[in-house]
Amino acid sequence: MQVSSIMLVRQNLTRKRARSLLLVLSIGIAFFVYGVLSSFQAGFEGSEAKAERLVVVSKIGGNETLPISALDQIAQLPEVAAVTHITRLRAHLIGNERQIIGANAVDPDSYAAVYGDTYKLDPALLAALAADRTGTLVGRTLAEQQGWQVGDRVTLTSFVHANSDGRNWSFTIAGIFDGREPTVDTNFLIVRSDYFNTALQRGRNRVNMFGIKPVPGADPAVLAETIDTAFANSAAQTKTQNETAFLSAFLEQFANVSLIVRMIVSVAFVTILLIVGNTMIFAVRERMQEIGVLKVLGFSGARIMRIVLAETIVLFAVGLALGLLLTSAVIPLLGQALRSVVPELYLTTKSISLAGLLALGFALLTGFLPALNALRLPIVAALRHR
Amino acid sequence: MPNDTDITLTHVTKSYPLGKSRIPIFQDLTMTIPEGDFLAIMGPSGSGKSTILNLIGGIDTVDEGQVAVGHTVLTGMSDAALTQWRAAHIGFVFQFYNLMPMLSAAENVELPLLLTPLSARARQERVRTILDIVGLSERAGHLPSELSGGQQQRVGIARAVAADPKILLCDEPTGDLDRTSADEILDLLQLLNRKLGKTIVMVTHDDSSCRVAKRTLHLDKGKFIQREEELMVCR
Repeated sequence: MQVSSIMLVRQNLTRKRARSLLLVLSIGIAFFVYGVLSSFQAGFEGSEAKAERLVVVSKIGGNETLPISALDQIAQLPEVAAVTHITRLRAHLIGNERQIIGANAVDPDSYAAVYGDTYKLDPALLAALAADRTGTLVGRTLAEQQGWQVGDRVTLTSFVHANSDGRNWSFTIAGIFDGREPTVDTNFLIVRSDYFNTALQRGRNRVNMFGIKPVPGADPAVLAETIDTAFANSAAQTKTQNETAFLSAFLEQFANVSLIVRMIVSVAFVTILLIVGNTMIFAVRERMQEIGVLKVLGFSGARIMRIVLAETIVLFAVGLALGLLLTSAVIPLLGQALRSVVPELYLTTKSISLAGLLALGFALLTGFLPALNALRLPIVAALRHR
Repeated sequence: MPNDTDITLTHVTKSYPLGKSRIPIFQDLTMTIPEGDFLAIMGPSGSGKSTILNLIGGIDTVDEGQVAVGHTVLTGMSDAALTQWRAAHIGFVFQFYNLMPMLSAAENVELPLLLTPLSARARQERVRTILDIVGLSERAGHLPSELSGGQQQRVGIARAVAADPKILLCDEPTGDLDRTSADEILDLLQLLNRKLGKTIVMVTHDDSSCRVAKRTLHLDKGKFIQREEELMVCR
C-alpha cells in the first residue's frame, strides 16, 4: 500500500466517522461472539488434546469399565510406545456436592510416560507421590482455586466408589504440577491407582480408560483399528479414538458444543457480512463522482478497486482487534463465573489465526462487489453523478 | 507533422443512447487545436461542448472518426493505456471543482503527483510551488469546505497542473463563481497559457472568457458556427 492509497483510504473511512465506528463495532461484536464461544469450546475440549494420542474406552459407553488386564495386551502391540490406565473417582469436595473435583486414579510412571509432553510430571514429583500411597499430585489451577498447598490433607467424596470408610477418600498433597503450555487444563488431581484399587470395596481391577502414546510414525487410525479388532470378540469390547475425537464425543453426550458454536458464530458473521456489504455498496455509490475524478486524474480502475478493498480490510482488521481485545478482557471474568461448567476459558492460537483468516476473507467478500462497481464505473457517468 | 500536443478530431461522430434510440451529438466533426492554443468553446447546453473535452481527455469514446493528440491516436486505446496517457498529458478543471472533501488543499494538489515517480519530498516541494503560483500558500492545510468557491477552483487548477501536463481541459471553470472570482480564474488560466505554454481548451457560458482566450468557437447542434459580432466585442 502506497502513501497515496493510505491517504485515500483514511479519507474514505473518516468522512462519516459514525458510520465507520458503527461498522467497526458491529464487526467487533461478531468477533467477540466468535472469541467467547471459541474460548468456551476450547475450554471444554482442552488444548491438551492431541490427535496422535489414543484413548481406549468400553464400546458399550463411557460409564462402563474395562478390565485392567487389557493393558498388557495393548502394551504388547509394536505400535504402542506407552500405555496407561485411568479410573475416574467421580468425586466432590466433602460436604459440598456442587464442588465437583476432577480426580483420576493412575499408575504415575506410565501416566507420565503417556502424558508427560502435556503435563510437567518431573521425577521429583513422581518420587514424592511414590513415597506416600495416599498422596496426590494436584494440578496448578485446581490448587490455586482451592488454596491448597503441598502437605495439605484433602478429602473427597466419590459419587460411586466406596472404601471401608464409606465414599470418602482422603489424600495428602505430595506436589503440584503444571501444564507444558499455559493453556493446558490443570484443574484436576491424580492419585495412585495401587492405593485406590486396593481400598475399593467393589469394582477392583477395572478402569475407565487406557491412554496410549503410539511410537513415532505409527498411524493412530490404524493402531486404533488394531486394538478394537483385538478386543472385538472379548467380553470387553473397546472403542479406540484419538484424544481430540474422544473429547468431542464426550462433550456431545451433553451438547454438540461445536455445532452450537458454529451455528451462533455463523449467524453473527452472516449478519455482519450483509451489514458491511450493504453499507460498502452505498458508501461507494455516494462517492461515485470522486471515483470518476480519480480516474480522470489517472488513477487506474485496479488501483481504485484496491483502495475500496483496503477500506473493508481496515474495517475488519480494527473490528477483529476490538473483538479479540474484548474477548481477552471478558473471558477471565466469564471463566470465573463458569468455573463449575468449563475448567478454563482461553483463546487458542488456532482460534486467533482462524479469526484473522475469517476477517480477511470477509473483508475481501464484502469489498469485492463495491470494488468491482468502482472498477467498472464509466468516468462520464461517474462525473454526472451528484 | 503535428506538434506533440496538437489536438486533432477527424470526422468524429458521437451520439448518446436514449432509451432504444440514440441522440446524435456530432456528425463528421473535424477540428484542430494547435499546441499553445487557448480555445474557448461556447454554445447552448446540450450542444456537445463538454463531449469535446471528454473525447480529447480520453474519458469518452467516439462512435466513428478519430481523436489524436500529437502523434498519439486515442481512438481504440485501452482504458488502462488511456488512464496512463491522461495522467501524463492532461489536466482537468471542473465547474464544481470536484476536490476530495476530506483532503486538504495541499493533499488535493498532491493527488496526481502520487502517480508520478517523484519522492514525497519532491512532491511536497512541487505542491508548495504550485500553491504559491495560484496564491494559496497560506491555505495549504485547509479543507475544501473551509475555502471560498474561487479558492477551491484555484486548488482545482493547481491540481490540474501539478503533474505538469501540456494540455488543460476546463469544463466551465467559472460557472459557479461570482464575477470577481471568475475574472481571477480567467487571469490565472491566461497566465498558464501565456507564461507556461499550456494548451487550454475551455468550455464556457461566460461571454467574458473570450477576453483571455486566443480563439473562441461557438458550437450549436454539433457544428461550429462563427459569431462575428461577439468576436468583435472580444477584440
